[in-house]
Amino acid sequence: MTTAKGAEVGGGGILHWLLQDTMDGMRRRRAILGYLFLLPTLLGIFIFTAGPVFVSFGLSLFRWNIFKPPDYVELANYQRLMGDVRIAISFGNTLKFTVLAVATQVSIGLLLAMGVHRITQTAMRYYFRTAFFLPLLMSGAAVAVVMGYIFHKEFGPLNYYLGLMGVQQIPWKTSADWVLITIVIMSAWRNLGFTFVLFLGGLSNISREVLDAADVDGAQGFRRLWSVTIPLLSPQILFAAVTGVIGAVQVFEEPFIMTRGGPGNASRTAVMVLYEAAFKNIEYGYGSAIAVVLFLVILAFTVAQMWMSRRWVFYQ
Amino acid sequence: MSNEKKMSRRDLLKLAAAGSTGLVMSGLPVRVIAQDSVTIKVQTAGLDDNTLQPVADIMVARHPNVNVEWVVLTGIDHEEVAAKILALVAAGESIDVGYAATEACQLFAGQGLAAPLDDLVTGDPDQDFWTDFFSDVHPSLVEAMMYEGSLYEPPRDFNAANMYFNTNVLAENGFDVPGPEWTKDDFVEIARGTTKKDDAGNTEAFGYAWTNRLWGSWMPWIFVAGGNLYTEERAPGGDWVWDGYYDGDAAADGRGGGFRWREPIANSPEVVEALQLNVDLWQEGVTPDIEMGSGQTLTGFYSTGLLCMTPAGGFWAGRLGNEGMEKGEFDVQYWPNWRNQKHQFGTGGHWLATVAAAPDEAWEFMKIEVSHEGFQSSQFFNPVIITTPSRRSYSQANAFESTGPANSDVFYGTLDDHPSTSPIPAPPWSNPMTTIFTTGTSNAMSGAMSPKDALDQMQQELEDLTARQPQYYGDD
Repeated sequence: MTTAKGAEVGGGGILHWLLQDTMDGMRRRRAILGYLFLLPTLLGIFIFTAGPVFVSFGLSLFRWNIFKPPDYVELANYQRLMGDVRIAISFGNTLKFTVLAVATQVSIGLLLAMGVHRITQTAMRYYFRTAFFLPLLMSGAAVAVVMGYIFHKEFGPLNYYLGLMGVQQIPWKTSADWVLITIVIMSAWRNLGFTFVLFLGGLSNISREVLDAADVDGAQGFRRLWSVTIPLLSPQILFAAVTGVIGAVQVFEEPFIMTRGGPGNASRTAVMVLYEAAFKNIEYGYGSAIAVVLFLVILAFTVAQMWMSRRWVFYQ
Repeated sequence: MSNEKKMSRRDLLKLAAAGSTGLVMSGLPVRVIAQDSVTIKVQTAGLDDNTLQPVADIMVARHPNVNVEWVVLTGIDHEEVAAKILALVAAGESIDVGYAATEACQLFAGQGLAAPLDDLVTGDPDQDFWTDFFSDVHPSLVEAMMYEGSLYEPPRDFNAANMYFNTNVLAENGFDVPGPEWTKDDFVEIARGTTKKDDAGNTEAFGYAWTNRLWGSWMPWIFVAGGNLYTEERAPGGDWVWDGYYDGDAAADGRGGGFRWREPIANSPEVVEALQLNVDLWQEGVTPDIEMGSGQTLTGFYSTGLLCMTPAGGFWAGRLGNEGMEKGEFDVQYWPNWRNQKHQFGTGGHWLATVAAAPDEAWEFMKIEVSHEGFQSSQFFNPVIITTPSRRSYSQANAFESTGPANSDVFYGTLDDHPSTSPIPAPPWSNPMTTIFTTGTSNAMSGAMSPKDALDQMQQELEDLTARQPQYYGDD
């Protein structure tokens, strides 16, 4: 067998083809070395990420509880999923949570970053950067437990201080109207540090000349923010939105620990029903079907964001 | 002159050989603890590894080649621990001994994870041990650990839902601890009479509170109203234990091979009435908003005088002491009479895994745990009671002498004096059933739905769930 360039391939030919003391041979050796460096990562992705995803797709076509052989049920799990009210409610809750949480994290993160960016004292800047980032380092479970006490309707400190201001007791965790808001507040508080640091870095990278030019052109205050600062921060905003959506759609620990999805199903999320189906009810096929749908939802969100970003993201 | 004849070495060997042959011929399972180094993995909940360490110490002292390794799984309630055990097994981890309360006993038995113990018990050469054990344990606890005729766990502890009172709050409001025959109306009067509100109408101290879970919760009201979540039947079988160990015990009459919960009856008028009572009390501000949990938060409210009454079992006696409550500051009574005074209970113990790598050693550990030595050393019962011992002899008044309550005889009395008392409904599909139960409960208790609507929805969900299950129960 010969290649287009006439080099023999096969047997000792491959070695010769690789070790040719020519520019082509050198390029081939470099390319192969590059692939060898990539191999561990590619194998890791295939075995630990892509592999389970494909297995999950396959499992979603079976009824399986681990202890007995799986039964092939075709699309029965998906049919059941379509008629499961709990699934519809939990995906709806997840959607509401995602919109509220991402909007809160991006907008407040941006405001805080702009505030801290204006501070000229280095020590104060370090202080605020640390203070806002610290909650992100805390265990989500621990945060949920502590917040559970803080948001307790009758005996929580939050309602106590609101009561001193004449505000009636708010059923933060026990009312279907309030519970998602409570979880958004808790989640935003914990995750703000990420968007804050991201935007602070973005603001630091905006060229002074561009801002001065905007000043000269008469763009100040909100006008400069809207027409100059935000467009220049748009790559960071896109990144924060995409990662925020991916994280928010998978929200689990905060509602699981604080409310167990209640009251009723008011704070039950998509990952929570997935967990319940697979690990609590030992219905791995059904849990996989939920996981597949969730995967498609996240994919759709991400593709939509990336597509829309072409209209508003500005790369310097 | 003595007629005693010293046994020669040859005679001893002959006797041993004859004995071994006899045991093998009779088909008895001879359990031999290996001499090689063996590790048994014992799954425990929460802090049980410390609590059970004295039991492990006994095991190691008797069998120095055995090492006990704890597999600690925590959860807010039993069904969550059960879910983690299932996940652990799914991930390929093995355990030799698992812990389950009533909530998950049939779950593990139904999935074939837990091994039936019948042959191990009846084939145990040390029958005195089992005669003594069963004579000390109420038959209702044993029956609750059975599934389709077989025993899966020797009961170690149990808790019936009784009513706890903060006696300081009672006294401040002019009430005494009621007598054992008290009624639902007496309860409502005390609950209202001990509730305090501020000028804005917010409740400052609650008459009654509970947490949203399967045990405790409002389930005791379902029972005394004459309802249940599922129809309650007895499986056939179990004669080996009733005839073999409870012969002549009137409390064992009519018992079978474990419970079967087949048909959901969650929206029966009795259940609706029970939930309506609890919703009414919440709307009046007598009861706080109901949250999920195992009652840890309530312990704090109760011990600080912000709560008068709550359902709990013997496990609270030691825990309230740990919260700083002195003996005499709390007491307990039977659940109030409504249409009946049928109590609910849950019992707990260890099960032997069918895939146990060291089944003989695991079984030995289980035996030690429920032996007298085990009860005398386990920190569940020493120095104070933090869960009610299944053995009657360790549930007497002296066990509660340092902590109270004064009416501690209520704990075992619930089993002795109220023969209709039965376990919480916990079929092999108890995990999703519990989710449906707690979800429906909070739908009503948050005002999102009327009790009737919430229970109609619960009934529908339970029917769908039950229809999806394979046949876990026999036809008889």
